[in-house]
Amino acid sequence: MDMNEIKEIFFQECEEQLAELESGLLRLNDGDRDPETVNAVFRAVHSIKGGAGAFGLDDLVSFAHVFETTLDCVRSNKLEPNQDVLKVMLKSADVLADLTNVARDGGSVDQARSAQLIRELEALAKGEAPPAAAPVAAAPKAAPVAAAPAPVVSDDGFVPVAFSFDDFGDDDVSADLPAYDVVFKPKSELYTKGNEATLLLRDLSRLGEMSIHCNMDSLPPLDQMDPEAAYFSWKVSIKTDKGEDAVRSVFEFAEWDCDLEVAALESGDVAEATGDDLPMQPVPFDLSALDDELDAPLGVVEEEEQIAAVQEAVAAAEAASNVVQMAASASRGAASDKGAAAAAAQNNAQQASAAAPTIRVDLDRVDRLINLVGELVINQAMLSQSVIENDSNGVSSINMGLEELQQLTREIQDSVMAIRAQPVKPVFQRMARTVREIADITGKSVRLVTEGENTEVDKTVIDKLAEPLTHMIRNAVDHGLEMPEKRIAAGKNAEGTVKLTAKHRSGRIVIELSDDGAGINREKVRQKAIDNDLIAADANLSDEEIDNLIFHAGFSTADKVSDLSGRGVGMDVVKRSIQALGGRINISSKPGHGSVFTMSLPLTLAVLDGMVVTVAGQTLVVPLTAIVETLQPDAAAIHSFGATQRLISIRNSFCPLVDVGRILNFRATQANPVEGVALLVESEGGGQRALMVDAIQGQRQVVIKSLEANYTHVPGIAAATILGDGRVALILDVDAVVSASRGQSLHTETSLAAAG
Amino acid sequence: MAAKKAARKSLSLAPVLDLNEANALHGKLMALRGNPLAIDASAVERVGALCVQVLMAGAKSWEEDNQSFTFAKVSDAFTKTTQLIGVNIDHLMAKEI
Repeated sequence: MDMNEIKEIFFQECEEQLAELESGLLRLNDGDRDPETVNAVFRAVHSIKGGAGAFGLDDLVSFAHVFETTLDCVRSNKLEPNQDVLKVMLKSADVLADLTNVARDGGSVDQARSAQLIRELEALAKGEAPPAAAPVAAAPKAAPVAAAPAPVVSDDGFVPVAFSFDDFGDDDVSADLPAYDVVFKPKSELYTKGNEATLLLRDLSRLGEMSIHCNMDSLPPLDQMDPEAAYFSWKVSIKTDKGEDAVRSVFEFAEWDCDLEVAALESGDVAEATGDDLPMQPVPFDLSALDDELDAPLGVVEEEEQIAAVQEAVAAAEAASNVVQMAASASRGAASDKGAAAAAAQNNAQQASAAAPTIRVDLDRVDRLINLVGELVINQAMLSQSVIENDSNGVSSINMGLEELQQLTREIQDSVMAIRAQPVKPVFQRMARTVREIADITGKSVRLVTEGENTEVDKTVIDKLAEPLTHMIRNAVDHGLEMPEKRIAAGKNAEGTVKLTAKHRSGRIVIELSDDGAGINREKVRQKAIDNDLIAADANLSDEEIDNLIFHAGFSTADKVSDLSGRGVGMDVVKRSIQALGGRINISSKPGHGSVFTMSLPLTLAVLDGMVVTVAGQTLVVPLTAIVETLQPDAAAIHSFGATQRLISIRNSFCPLVDVGRILNFRATQANPVEGVALLVESEGGGQRALMVDAIQGQRQVVIKSLEANYTHVPGIAAATILGDGRVALILDVDAVVSASRGQSLHTETSLAAAG
Repeated sequence: MAAKKAARKSLSLAPVLDLNEANALHGKLMALRGNPLAIDASAVERVGALCVQVLMAGAKSWEEDNQSFTFAKVSDAFTKTTQLIGVNIDHLMAKEI
């Protein structure tokens, strides 16, 4: 494993830490005061800092350090994590993420922003820290004074005579230095991770004058000992002018693998402490021999240093992964004693996702596998079809075997698809940041509530979801929510709420973005549409149609164009990207109460459960998720409506009958409903339609092959697939057909274009 | 004399006594159990806490067996490290005879 690989692991783990950090901060923001949450947040920053230190990423380290210091104040209850504090912290988390990205990908960060945040963090750490922390902070400044002419500053009223500083022994000078008691108890993990207690103690001894006692009480006899377990523990008393932080930082990389206590001693206690009942062995200042052994053979030095660096890095990486585990156990802990049911449920979910061991796999490899499995499924279908065709004596052993094969391929395919499925959480978390930034710029107070973050969906969908979602969130905050004063005037909470929900619904993922803002101003939208020649001035539009105007290209209602949104490139782009994913977007708005955007996306872009049907001699596949039921229409149930429309009465309710063959132009005349089969489908709008087809061939899982990639877009057709007999069948775009049946022309709408 | 007292054995320590060496050192000491032992630590350049633990456990066990356990020769690095980590080996140093 070379350094770059280790570094890559570090960055991957950074991402996890950052996610952990953010969700922890958000929990704190929601009023969670569980110490474990604070700890998890602290650990996340700490291990990023640790790893960054190992790779010499100074910017990252220095920022993380300041951040960590402030978090430490929260951890030790010196700083109350109120809304203002958390606001700074959340911003700091964003900057930390930026710095991490810069460290990985190059580029630059907004220096002014991070400098500003550093100042804010420092102010928080200092300003609100009670005097308990003061001696430590003051120590570095006080020390030089103490080492200088100490007697002169004593204001006893007289100047001591004939005081020779030369007589001062080193001991006397250091006697004025603050002393610390360090109890260092390594755990066995410390050693197995390549850390070495002797090196830690050596680094510690460099800080100042140190006395040490090694506790060997727990050392078992030779034959009962585990040579790689930790038995020694140390009690160290050290006098240093570098402060407690310096002492702690010696143990930085080992902190989780040892029990460490650092206590500052009053100078009066020093003698007492050193003259403790434990026999302390003074450690000689001159440890040059230990350095020499490293420095002496010149050729070896570099090598050793490299080894040390690598070891350190590995330790850091390991420490980082350790922290993830700790965080997982932390959330477990939190789950057990937290009252809030929702929080507990979330924690449980986290536990489930974090506790299981994972590996990182290149996405390319997964995709190759998925593709191959897709071919396997097709091949299996072809094979079983040809066996059925050539099988004259009914049930044969080959048939049985083929059935098993079919189940097996099905299972393989499901498992492979599950590999690609990822929770939407990372995307949702990115949205939290977007909301914060826009709220900041617009001066609005916004709260983002997310639900169903663990809903899983195909990785491709997740990746492509971020951009449209960002657009929509921006719109929701910038246009949707009102300014705080306006909200108060309207009798609403000054803080606006944007809610992001993900859930599975009938084989699709539905993402809902709702705000409690003013809702769409239909008058304004309508006027704007007329101004922009999108609609005729006298057009009679339903509320829904007006709402949907905002999806038109070149449409913006904001009076002033802001940096964020309002240039009218937003919603039409959103609609297009959602459609490119085979999804649909809907809007519903209530003036004064806000708007809800609903996106429905396929869970995967690779396979589909379909019903194979025949229409005018053509084989079509109807996505099974769209079908509610199938029925054989009765002549008595068919009613004519208007010139061309027909209705079918199903259990005393009427439902429009849609002739698929007619709409797709497969035939010139209307088919006789009684001779065909009606598929009752639910369209995205919520209404039900009966699609009329000639016959049902069966149900099958089909591998989606993009029509766009191989041919061109066909209206009313979502994609294509290859059937068992090797023929190509088209996959019906139910919604496009349904809307076409409402008299609108069949035009480029949805597709499953993103599939390979 | 030889019949009553086992022959005095000596053990030379490796230059680097780190994590990897701890097990080996433990094995060597176990094999030498019951014999008076003189340890030659003159080649030691680096020694970790684990190996010191093993050596100290050895010293303890040897003491229980009433056998002598001494450091015949020690390197500077070895002495400094034991001093650094507060392990006193003075009483185990071979007395000049």
